[in-house]
This record gives sequence, structure tokens and C-alpha cells, in this order.
Amino acid sequence: MSGLLQDLQYAARQLRKSPGFATVAIVTLALGIGANTAIFSLLDQALLRSLPVKDVDRLVILKYSGSNIPGLLRCRTDGKFYFSYPMYRDLRDRNSVFSGLIATDWTQVGVQWHNQPDLVAAELVSGNYFDVLSLQPALGRLFAASDDLKADASPVVVLSFSYWQRRFGTDPGILNQSILVNGHPFTVVGVAPPGFHSVVLGDTPDVFVPMMMQAEVMPGSKDLDSHQSSWLNIVGKLKPGISREQAEAGVAPLWYALRSDELKSINTTGESEGFRDRFLTKSHLLVLDGARGFSPLRSDVQMPLLIVMGMVALVALMACANVGSLLLVRASGRIREMSVRYALGAKRRRVVQQLLVEGMLLGSAGGLLGMLLAPQVSSLLISMLWSGGTGDLPFSARPDLRIMLFNCSLALFASLLFSLAPAAQFWRPDLAPALKQQGTTARSGSLRFRRVSVAMQIGLSLTLLVGAGLFVRTLHNLRSLNAGFTTDHLVTFGIDPRMAGYEPVRTFALYRSVFETLSGLPGVRSVAATNDPELANDNESGNIAIAGYAEKSHEDMNVEQPNVSADYFATLQVPLLAGRAFTLQDSAESQKVAVVNESFARHFFGDPQQALGHLIGYGGATPKTDTAIVGVVKDSKHASLREPVTPTLFRPYVQLSQAQAMTFYVRTWQQPESAEGTIRRAMQTLDPNVVLDTFRTMNEQVDNNLIAERVIALLASGFGVLAALMAAVGLYGVLAYSTMQRTSEIGIRMALGATRASVVRMVLLEVLWLAGISIAVALPVSLLLMYAVRSQLYGISGSDPLTLCGMTVLVTLVALASAMLPARRAARVEPMAALRHE
Amino acid sequence: MIRLNNIERSYKTGAGQTWVLRRVNLEIQQGEFITAMGPSGAGKSSLLNVLALLDDQWQGEYWFREQAAHSMKRKERAELAKKNIGMVFQSYHLLDDLTVLENIDLPLSYKDIPRQQRQSLVADVLDRFQIVAKKDLYPSQLSGGQQQLVGIARAVIHKPSLLLADEPTGNLHSSQAQEIMELFRGLNQQGTTIVQVTHSETNAAYGTRTIQLRDGWLVGDTANPNLQATIEPSGAAMKR
Amino acid sequence: MIEAGQPLIQIQDLTKVFYTDEIETHALSGIHLSVNRGEYVAMSGPSGCGKSTLLSIIGLLDTPTAGRYSLNGKTVENLDFAERSRIRNQEIGFIFQSFNLIGDLTVYENVELPLTYRQRMPAADRKSRVMEALERVGMAHRIRHYPSQLSGGQQQRVAVARALGGKPSILLADEPTGNLDSRNGEAVMELLQNLHREGATICMVTHDPRFAKHAQREVHLFDGKVVAEEELRKLLQETSA
Repeated sequence: MSGLLQDLQYAARQLRKSPGFATVAIVTLALGIGANTAIFSLLDQALLRSLPVKDVDRLVILKYSGSNIPGLLRCRTDGKFYFSYPMYRDLRDRNSVFSGLIATDWTQVGVQWHNQPDLVAAELVSGNYFDVLSLQPALGRLFAASDDLKADASPVVVLSFSYWQRRFGTDPGILNQSILVNGHPFTVVGVAPPGFHSVVLGDTPDVFVPMMMQAEVMPGSKDLDSHQSSWLNIVGKLKPGISREQAEAGVAPLWYALRSDELKSINTTGESEGFRDRFLTKSHLLVLDGARGFSPLRSDVQMPLLIVMGMVALVALMACANVGSLLLVRASGRIREMSVRYALGAKRRRVVQQLLVEGMLLGSAGGLLGMLLAPQVSSLLISMLWSGGTGDLPFSARPDLRIMLFNCSLALFASLLFSLAPAAQFWRPDLAPALKQQGTTARSGSLRFRRVSVAMQIGLSLTLLVGAGLFVRTLHNLRSLNAGFTTDHLVTFGIDPRMAGYEPVRTFALYRSVFETLSGLPGVRSVAATNDPELANDNESGNIAIAGYAEKSHEDMNVEQPNVSADYFATLQVPLLAGRAFTLQDSAESQKVAVVNESFARHFFGDPQQALGHLIGYGGATPKTDTAIVGVVKDSKHASLREPVTPTLFRPYVQLSQAQAMTFYVRTWQQPESAEGTIRRAMQTLDPNVVLDTFRTMNEQVDNNLIAERVIALLASGFGVLAALMAAVGLYGVLAYSTMQRTSEIGIRMALGATRASVVRMVLLEVLWLAGISIAVALPVSLLLMYAVRSQLYGISGSDPLTLCGMTVLVTLVALASAMLPARRAARVEPMAALRHE
Repeated sequence: MIRLNNIERSYKTGAGQTWVLRRVNLEIQQGEFITAMGPSGAGKSSLLNVLALLDDQWQGEYWFREQAAHSMKRKERAELAKKNIGMVFQSYHLLDDLTVLENIDLPLSYKDIPRQQRQSLVADVLDRFQIVAKKDLYPSQLSGGQQQLVGIARAVIHKPSLLLADEPTGNLHSSQAQEIMELFRGLNQQGTTIVQVTHSETNAAYGTRTIQLRDGWLVGDTANPNLQATIEPSGAAMKR
Repeated sequence: MIEAGQPLIQIQDLTKVFYTDEIETHALSGIHLSVNRGEYVAMSGPSGCGKSTLLSIIGLLDTPTAGRYSLNGKTVENLDFAERSRIRNQEIGFIFQSFNLIGDLTVYENVELPLTYRQRMPAADRKSRVMEALERVGMAHRIRHYPSQLSGGQQQRVAVARALGGKPSILLADEPTGNLDSRNGEAVMELLQNLHREGATICMVTHDPRFAKHAQREVHLFDGKVVAEEELRKLLQETSA
């Protein structure tokens, strides 16, 4: 590597001498590389990264195949990842392949310290949690198996490092102090190590609580002895030297035995042989790779992140093509320089080295700038994606070594890629003529490469713009979708009095006074509440039985079951189709009643009117059918705008034995934002210890519900515009150069009588050809890509003709616009000056 | 036919101003075959460019058949050149991406001539130059002599009265050069006025009159033996 | 220093054919030529006679189609690209019609350039060589200038210095005065003549008979062949007849 320093100096001087080129190239690269680094840092954290714990490759996640127990199921993702506590306990104690199995669940708790209430995220963990993960405390101690022996017997809590920092100012004095968790005193025994969030990816619990304290941490739940309630994720650590396949085989007999016991414990009368088969024989315990932790989030963000990553990869490719063609343009002007270098005895390696050094200089400048840009982009994305969550953001925008490595290798790879083009051009120089001539002549090869590169850029920008168009229209479609209820002038917030230590009886009383107080506020039209908030990706579903209804075999009797207040339908403005809505007369003592939605009525009875009067029962195989359907309401969207409406059965919350957390809806007369202060003050006077959760307007809630779509649409449009800009710059560069190269040709034409207008026409026609060909190639490719991501589109086909045509026209216009300047410059060629070029 | 009075031409260069033509007076009669000679950089090609009306950065007077080209607008000049002048270049200047036929047709395509008539004109020239067989070939498939033949065919397709040739045989073997010069002689005999620039005495011998240039000055003219006396002493610096 | 009078260049039956799609153009056919050390040879002939092609082959910028060429006693017609680069660097100094200085390098760097392509040449050696060469052509006072800040004559002198810096066995000049006015042309010719007097071997292509006379020996080319002067005159007369 001789003369490396010299080459570097020369390269730097060249860039200094053409600041315009250098700026365009570096900014282009910075945008391409920066966007990739930003998206990759999210992708890495969400999909690729391993947990920061020892022996991470021995971590596994348990999942099973086969039927579920019909029963309570609380889950954030595929139900087959959830187990009951007895099942966990038996698996943990009776297996021979795992060195440890841990159970975990996520919840929210109210923490009170120095009379300051605070709503925080909590992870309910088995006592061996930290042992199995081999974590050391930052302070005090972590849990031991002894913390997890007897229900309600271990009121201890471990703080997460960041919560300790945030709430307690890293004060070691907090150790052994008592804090109130949901009104119960708990002792702080330690602080978890920094950098560790949770075994569940994307969760950032502020406190860890032993599993045995479930009743305190999740008021109203007593699932520790229930075989019916599947609510725990199990993460295990393999014994050294045991593979996942061996573990799966080793644990299979145990799994079969445990499932047989369960089958016996549930009432199997009426269960078919088919169910037994699906529940037992066809059921297997699966041991999955757990190095990256368990992640309900992963499946949610996987597709959007992959789409966005794909988009930025295209942008980076464009940036490379762009800089490559810019470099080629310069290279063609340097044929003589390189020929002189060869004539003076430079070896090929030396010339290629010089070009690579120049490329690397550009690449590293672009990479560096991109590295500075990336955290801004990712923190923007993170704040958009996780607005309004509790606790820490699960993702960090701060680049670590891994991300920098990615950034560097991307910059390096890009530099190599775009340096290759000019290097290839000087590989076989035609020395004698190049040295003889005054000017330089176009090498048709390099011109062809530049044309291909520009055509590629036009095509890529079309693809990105089509994507942008479709995603933007998807967002628009979803936003303008009728939710089935009126979202304007509606404020929502949640409270969980149990976290402030309320007993069920007091809870119901509190709810009653909330209704009374809020309805009396000026500007409030009506107030309602539900335990199952709308458009919040929340589900509260359960199996039902209908008296006199003949179930089809394997019919899904699982329906959505929200518990709502009396004015619920009136407040949300959901129209009543038949019968009546709930009234204040529906109380704990009166006849149990239900209102179903239209889908429910049509599914089970064919018609809204037919549904009235039927009796319903809940759970189990042969439940008591004691609830009468008194009304049918029109369908409305529930979990999200995207999901179709499912059969839903509403019940008055007052008729339930358990008090639950409720989400309130306040219909206002004026702008809903203006009601916030009044409502907060009113709630404060009711009980300052009750924390209002996620206070927002319903329209904000809708936007929040569409977060993934919004991010994709925003990024797709951003990248689309960026791509079109890059294509325009690239096209301009190539045309400016090719017309310069054609100066002599144009001069000849003009010497032979061509007019200026005909020269402009000639250049524009060439562009149209180029654009036409690249569009012809890019359109089918875009169609294929859009087909691949069709699950992310809504209300629009991936081959929507309007979007395709519109974007094609847009790209063509951009191409023509960027061709205008070179075309006009070509028309200004002085024929004589051109001919002197020989 | 053409009268040049006190033509001057200079270029701005980094180091100052370079004069390539200095007070050139020249009269060209209909039917002449003039050869311009002189060492490299003497201003021969510049003179040719002025004559071709390709250049408009000169000072002085240019009369073309009693029309004052020096006071014309750019467009009018272009029109005048398009009608009356054909050019032949040392490096042929054929367009690589066009066939022989298309190259020859090129000047016609910039005029409002019906397709029918264009085809017959091109066919005629192809015939006359005996290159019918080559009409679908590209320039790169031809020898230098053949390329120059095409270049000349293109220059005369619109029957110009003045043919300008800049080192037309500079890139050719002697036998090919001879062929080209014979062709010029024939065109000249049919009435075309020709001005050629050449280094070759052999080529000059085909002409009817020879002018000499040196450092931008017209220093010799076989039609005006007294010229030498009228100019300033030579050796004036070209660079200031 | 090797004693003068030995043949430095020996060319036997050299042929160069350019192939385009269908056409073979014989640029050189059957050239025999030898140049001794310390000689000053001018190659002349009408345009298109092949003199520039011959110079390119002598300079290893181009390869012959057939024939033998030995430079400094070494057969060079079949060397690969890298080997030819090395010989160009060490044995040959080029002077071009259009100077071919690199615009982004200073005068000093331009002259230094061929030396940087040599393996392991100490920086101090390089510097003394560059300054020596620049002083020789009277351009040492302009080392920080860029080529665009110089006149054509000055640029060509820098180019001569670049050719000298490598202490080559032969200087090849292709129409070195082609882009210069007569005064500057004379100055460059004088410089070449002085270099020759000091022992340099020079091969120059020119079509200006005045400058050809500066040389010790004139080689006439015609249609790709070397011809005697009288023969050339005869041929030229024949073709003009």
C-alpha cells in the first residue's frame, strides 16, 4: 500500500475543489446510510439482539401445540405460549433437561412512596428468575427460590435499575424500606443490574414482584392454583450439552403425563374423542430458541420493521447508484489524467487503489454524517411508536458498538460498490488515443453503465413512491373508516382503584361517584365506562353457552365480553337495533342481562329481533345459563380499526362479582381537549391516590391505534420523496455529463443545421426512453413487492391503478424536469467550440 | 463571392488573450479552389470556422454575395450557412450511432424537405459516391477513406455553393487521400467553390490558389504576390 | 552511465494493424528501426503515415500486432500490462503535444508523480530529483503553481521536467510544439537540443520540417513504412501528379 497518504491527500484536495459534488455525494450517502443505521438499530433491538445475560444461547422459550383448555386465557400473542401456574410448577420440578425454568407475566401496579402515587409497569416473576438468567444485583439482593414458596407470604420487590435512578435518584438508602404496591406494603430488597430490562423483549418493568404475590399485584386474580387459567410465559435454560431437540424429546413423556392429568381434571363429559386427540395425542411441548427473549412485540413489529428496512435498503441502493454514477461522470473527465498516470508508469493496482481511497473518503464522510443522523431518526421513530406507554421506552436510540459496526460496514460496502464503477472504467485504458486527444471522448461502456444506473434509480424511486402512495392511502382509508361510534368530542382515561388499595365494594362506590361527579361537570353531555377499552388492541373474551342452541361441532363459542356502564351505548352513540339498552335498574340484584352486537345476533340467531330473550351462560362445559339478551346494538370496531367486528356480548359491570379497572368515556359539548383540566380536578377531589391512566381524546386514541400504519406511511412517503430527489439528481448528473460528452455530436448536428429546439427535443426524448424502459421494468416489480406486503394494506389493492398511474406520471415529470436544464444547456452549445474538441 | 475585411479573432485564456486571426483580408471568387497552409496554430482552422459562419465571436466584415453576414442575427447567419455551405472535417465527424444513410440524410432532416425528395437526394448522392452498398453500415465499420467519402457526401447533399474542408486527408493513407482530392477536383470542376486547410503540398497542388498564414497573419497568397509587403513584420508575440 | 553508440532501440519487421468491425487498417507495415544511445531522431511524414503509432509503440503505450522490439537489450513486445508500466516508469520520458499535466496537481507534484510510482524511493531523493529537473527547464520558481496558471510554453517545460525526473534512457516527444506558438515552440526545441548535447537520447515526431532539422537523423515514414528522403519526395510527387 504505497502512497496511501498521498492518494488520501489528493482525494481530499479533489473533494475540496468540487464542493458541490462532494456535498451532494456525502449528503446522499449520509441519508442512505443514516436511515439504514436508524432502522437497523430498531430492527436489531426488536428482532435480532440477544438478551444481555450469561449463556444466552442456552435460553429457550416453551410453546405447545394442540388444543387449549377451554378457560380463561389472558394473552398478548399466540395463546400457545401461555401456561397455567400448576403446569409451570410441574414442568419446573419434574423435568430432567432444563437447568431452570422461569415463569413471567406483565402487569401494571400502583406504587406509593412518600405519599406520591405512581403507575408503573411490573413483572411478576418466579423466584428463580434472576438465578436462571445469572444476573447479579446492582444493589442489595435479587429474588431467591425462598421468595416464591407460599402465596401472599413474600411482600418483597426488586427495582429495575432505571426506575431506581428515575424515582429514587440512585439512593442506596431505599434498601429495606417499605413502599406501597397497590396499597400493600412491600420491602425493597434490591436493584436489578443496569442494561437488563426483562426476559420479555420490549417490556421495561419498573419493579419485579414474586409470583406468589399475584393476588396483591393483580387484584381480583387468584390463578396460582388454577389449571384452567393459562397466563404465564415460560423461559428456560438448557442443561449444558443438551440441544433443543434433545430437550424436546426428553420432556415429551412428562408433557404427556401432565396433559393427561389436566384432561382428567377438566370436566370431559360431552367432550368428543376428537378433542381428546387434539388435546393430548397431538399435543407437544416445543422448545424454541430463546436467546432473543420472549417477544409478543416481535410479531407485531416484525412486518412493519421489515417493510421499512426494505425501503431503506432500496434507498441505500439508490444512494450507491447515485454516487456511483456521479463518480463515473467525474471519472470520464479523468480518462486523460489516468492515462497520463499509466503512461508515467502507474500500475493498475495503484490506480485502483487511488480510486478506492477516493471512494472510501466519500463513504466514510457519508457514514460518519449518517451515524450522527441515525440516533435522531431512531429516537423520532421510537417516540412515535411508543407514545403514551408506561415506564421506560423498550428501545434505545443510543447507538452501541454493534450499530456502529453495522454503520461502518455499510459505509465500507457502499464505498466499494460505488468505487467499482470508475475503477472498472480505468481497467483497460486505451492509452495512445487518450493521450493524443485534446478533449476526452465518451466511452460508450461507461455511458451505458450510467444509463443503467439512472434507469435503476428511476425504477427504484417509482417502487418506493408506489409503496408510499399505497401506504398513505391505507392510512387514509383506516382513518376515515367508520368505527361504528362517534369519535369526536370524546375523552377517555382509565383508572384502577385497586391499585390505590380499594376493596371491591369501595371500588363500585367510587365508580358510582365518578359517574355522578363527571356528569355534573359543565360541558359534559354524558359519561360511560368499560373494562375493555375501544380501539386499544384490547380483548376480553371468553367462551359462552346459549340455552337451546345446537352448537356445530368445533364451533368457536369464544366471544368478546366487555362489561360496561348503563349509558355506554348512548355515550358512544352506538345505535340500538332491537330491544333495549342497559339502564340504572340493571343492578347486582336484578335479572342478569346482556346486550349483543349485530354480528353476534346474526351469527347465532340470523336476525337482531331473533336474539332477544335467549339465555346465556359463561365458561366451562355445561355452565348455568342465567343471563337474558335484552337488546341488540349495531356493530362497531373494537380492538382496532383494521380488525373485523367479532361477535360481542356486553354486560352491565354492576352485575359482576369482581370489580375491575375501568376505562371512562366522557362525551363533551365543546372541544374535548378543553375538558381535561376540569375532569382531572374533579377526579383529584374524589381521591388523589387514584391515578388517571392514558388520558387522551378518542381521536388521539384512533391515531395511536394506527401508529404502525402512520409510521409506515410517513416513512414510505419520506423515502419516496427522497428517492425521487436522488433520482432527479442522478438523472441530472448523467444528462449533464452525457450532453457534455455529446458536445461534439451536438456541434456537428448544429453545424449541419439543427435548431436549438430540435436539440432540446432530442435530449428530452432520450430521457423519456430511459424513463419508459425503467418504468416498464419497475412496475411489475412494484406489483410483486406490494403483493408481498398486502397484509399491511387496507381497503386498497396492491395493484391500485390510480396509485400506479399517478406515481408513474409523477416519476416521468420528475425525470423530465431534471432533464430540462441539461437539455437547455445542450442547446446552447457553440458549434465551433464543439468541433474544436477533436 | 466572399469578401473578408479586417477579420480579427481572439480567445481569452488563463494567461491573457490569444490572437488567432489578425486583420485578415481575403476575397474568394466563385469557382476557386483555395488551399490555406501554415504551421499548427497559425489560424487556418479559425479562418475556416469564420468562413463557415460557425463562429460569431470575430470582428470585421464578412460579405457573402453582397449580404453583410457581420451584421446578421445569429439565426439569419445559421440560415445562410445551412443553405450555402458544406463542411468536411479531418476526423470526419460522422455520428457513430447513425448509419451511413442516416448520416448523409442528417442535414436534410433539419430542413423542411418532403421525405420523398429527401430519399431521392440521398439515393442520388450514394450513387454518385458509389457507396450504395455501404448505406446500412455504421461509421465504425468503414475505413478512414470511406468515412471521409461519407463525410463529403453529407457535406454536398444539399448542393452547397461553398465547400470547406479542414485537413480532409489528415487521417488517411496517401492512396485514400489521393482519391479524396480527386473527388474535390471533380466537385470544383462542377462549380463548387472549395476552401481547404492542409499541411500537405501534394494536396495544395490540387487547388487553384494557395494562401499562407502564420501566427494569425495572412502572409502569402499566390493570387496576390505583393501581399508580403503590406503586413507588419512577423514575430509579433501571440501572447501578451 | 552506459557508453553511447550502442543500439538502445531495435525494431524489426514491426507491424500494427487496427481492426474495426470489418476493416483492417495497416498503420505500420514492416518497420525496421534502430536508435543508438545519445541519438536525436526525428520522425516525420505526412499525417496518417503512422509516425505517432510508431512512437506509441516505442513508448510501450501500445503493442505491435507483429514484429520484434527490444529496448535497452530487453525484448518488450510481449510484456504484460504491469511489466510495461514498470518499464515506462523507469526507461521512458514522455513529452506530449497537449502537455498532459494533471490539473489538480501542482507543478512540483506533477514532476514528482512518476517517481511516486517507483518502489521505495526515499522522499529526500525524490525531492532532489524533482528540483534538479525543474531547475534544468527553468521552472523551479513555480513549484506551487497549478498548470492552469501557466502559459503553454511553461506547461510544456514542466512536462519536459517531468520526463527528465525519472532519468529515463529515452525521451519521446510527440509533436512537442504542436500546441505552441512559434516563439515558445523554438524555446522548447532549443531545450531538447541542449538536453541532447548533454547526452539524452530523443525520439521526436513532428511534421514541421524546420524542427525536424534540429535532429541528428531524420526518419521518414510514408503509409506505415520507413522510406528514404529522396524516395519520400518522389512518392509525394507521384501522388500529387
